[in-house]
Amino acid sequence: MLTWEFPPRIVGGIARHCLGLAKALAKEDHDVHIVTLDFPGAPSFEDVGGAKVHRVGIELGHPNFITWTFIFNHFMEKKVAEISQNVEFDIIHIHDWLTAPAGISSRHYLNKPLVSTVHSTESGRTQGLHSRDSHLIDGLEWWMTYEAKKVIICSGSMEGELAHHFRVPSDKIAVIPNAIDISRYTRHIDQESVKRHYGIGPYDKMVLFVGRLVPQKGVEYLIKAAPRIIRQHSEARILITGDGWSKNYLENLARSTGHADRIRFLGFVSDSQLVELTMSADALVIPSVYEPFGIVALEGMAAGVPVVAANVGGLSEIVERDRTGVSVYTKNPESIAWGVNKVLSDPGYSKWLIQNAKKKVEEVYSWQAVAKRTVEVYEEACTG
Amino acid sequence: MSFSGQSIPDEIYFLCMLHNIGATNSGKSLTFEDISRWTAMEPEKIRDNLQKLIEADYVHVNLTSGIEKYHTTINGIRKVLSMYS
Repeated sequence: MLTWEFPPRIVGGIARHCLGLAKALAKEDHDVHIVTLDFPGAPSFEDVGGAKVHRVGIELGHPNFITWTFIFNHFMEKKVAEISQNVEFDIIHIHDWLTAPAGISSRHYLNKPLVSTVHSTESGRTQGLHSRDSHLIDGLEWWMTYEAKKVIICSGSMEGELAHHFRVPSDKIAVIPNAIDISRYTRHIDQESVKRHYGIGPYDKMVLFVGRLVPQKGVEYLIKAAPRIIRQHSEARILITGDGWSKNYLENLARSTGHADRIRFLGFVSDSQLVELTMSADALVIPSVYEPFGIVALEGMAAGVPVVAANVGGLSEIVERDRTGVSVYTKNPESIAWGVNKVLSDPGYSKWLIQNAKKKVEEVYSWQAVAKRTVEVYEEACTG
Repeated sequence: MSFSGQSIPDEIYFLCMLHNIGATNSGKSLTFEDISRWTAMEPEKIRDNLQKLIEADYVHVNLTSGIEKYHTTINGIRKVLSMYS
């Protein structure tokens, strides 16, 4: 399995996805090797839940990101070649365009089938192709679907994107949802103490955002919704976790609402802090503009917090309106405020959503189920 | 690069370059001259960007034998990755 992010190199959902899938596959006695990039403090090799993780150092650099990407792919490819001296691989599995060049060349010299997971597309992430880099990335995404024996996507909403934009035949596509480790949300959390740690009073309501601070995540619409939320719930405190290149813009936007004292930016937080925060929140808001899956929604559902999510992409498949969460219009602060106010005002309704959501996560989104389906796809790729 | 009226600040592009040329830990830290050579940017602009990034804890500066050398911090690496993940 080739991925540019794997814990502790965590940015978005891909690292968590690869970790969960690798551990679940290893648990079923599959020999899983992860080839990924190095990270300060992480060992060059380790066993993670039975999966063997190889971290590759990049011996050359280049200021241009795309060129750098091709350079690190070369070092990944060398690592795959080195490991294959002792291991006979059956499948090469790549995640997103960033590892496509190494995956494609490995598939050819090892003569083994390639499986590509497309977590999102450049045209979706940037809402169109606006630069030369975007066109090149779009081309690489097409190439990884063309070279793959099977293409895995995480939600039905992505199927249309791949079929129309990349002309991928439907029999080549497998929809396998993301999953989460539910056991992470079973421990006891002292919510009052967590709130105190972040400067929130015991009777204040914590409204949480988790994600990268980039336009795709729609954080600006949550910030614009803040005055409407605070007007109805003066006890509401909005916590924004994560980092990204939009951070300065969003901090300025928060100041412009006149409620900067109630909107806090926490930056990147560790996994265990994230679990504590999510389990202590009174509402989890996912205001995305583009979201092929939305693993944060599953985390909220497992943590027992009512989820208020934009009705886009995979989120509209996970969050069932008025059953497992509140569905709101995307890019619409008024609608977001309405959704947040609804869960903060009606504890009975929130409790109902939480119960349904937990049940759905347990039944549908376990790593065991995802690993089983992934192995079926591997088998189809090997025999088809 | 610009999305819905927002564009990536200059210092973040610069951080990305610093990351891509390999200055990702103290052992790989680079001098001002090294950075200047790689990025082909005006010294004043480099100084300005480095200052902003050090203040934001995205870049760390260390003094080795009287020479200042710069590298991205873990937060800086995550910031870069967030642009493309």
